[in-house]
Amino acid sequence: MSIPSEDPIIQLYRDSFPDVARMIRRKGGTLEEAKDAFHDALLIYLEKEKAGRLQLHGSPKAYLVGTARICWLRARGATVSLPDAFDAAEPAEGGVEEREQSVRASLVRSGKKCLELLKAFYYDHCSMQDIAGRFGFNGTRSATVQKYKCLEKVRKEIKSNNEYAS
Amino acid sequence: MRPELNEISLIDLWLLRQLPEAEAQAVEARILVDEAFAEKVEAQRVCHRLIHQYGRRQERFRLETIYRQLLQEAGFAQQLNTIFT
Repeated sequence: MSIPSEDPIIQLYRDSFPDVARMIRRKGGTLEEAKDAFHDALLIYLEKEKAGRLQLHGSPKAYLVGTARICWLRARGATVSLPDAFDAAEPAEGGVEEREQSVRASLVRSGKKCLELLKAFYYDHCSMQDIAGRFGFNGTRSATVQKYKCLEKVRKEIKSNNEYAS
Repeated sequence: MRPELNEISLIDLWLLRQLPEAEAQAVEARILVDEAFAEKVEAQRVCHRLIHQYGRRQERFRLETIYRQLLQEAGFAQQLNTIFT
């Protein structure tokens, strides 16, 4: 049962996850493992779709089931390649991850609006026109200047983080 | 834009591989000879990575929320119970 106006991702989730869960169960996995693998697969799907690089040879559900299978195998230590060497499940080097987490936390505290604007451009691949409308700028020129000011702010934050100085 | 922002723009276009070949080569040459510039490029590369990580974390949070929301639907929860019992 689906509601017409709801987020398409919710519909896709409702429609696809039981199949992924069934497949992981058959292989001896748990519900938690199935959910984690499914979320990894959905992230791959969503990021590729946003970047305009999603190539489906079947239904979205088939793509998700196949990708979740690979993600689950990789989580168990198998060396299986993800589509286009996606790095969702790759753990970062311990030290680097800790340092970046510290910078990320201070960024979220000090400049949430900037981060949201930068995320809209670099992660969600929104156009500057969309961003100008969404964040209340007069036009794409103002939005672009603000984007670079935000990058400058983030860059300064990184520089001022002593951990990065070394 | 002020010069600092123009430089950020230039580095950004280079990182995103959107510069024409000749300009990209000029940036690459400057990275080799200008240590301060090379540091800025590296910091900006880290910016891109952090923004990506931030976006991905937000997206993971959204998926967890959807999962918890769907578990409230009797039909969905029942399907999962059947599969894992």
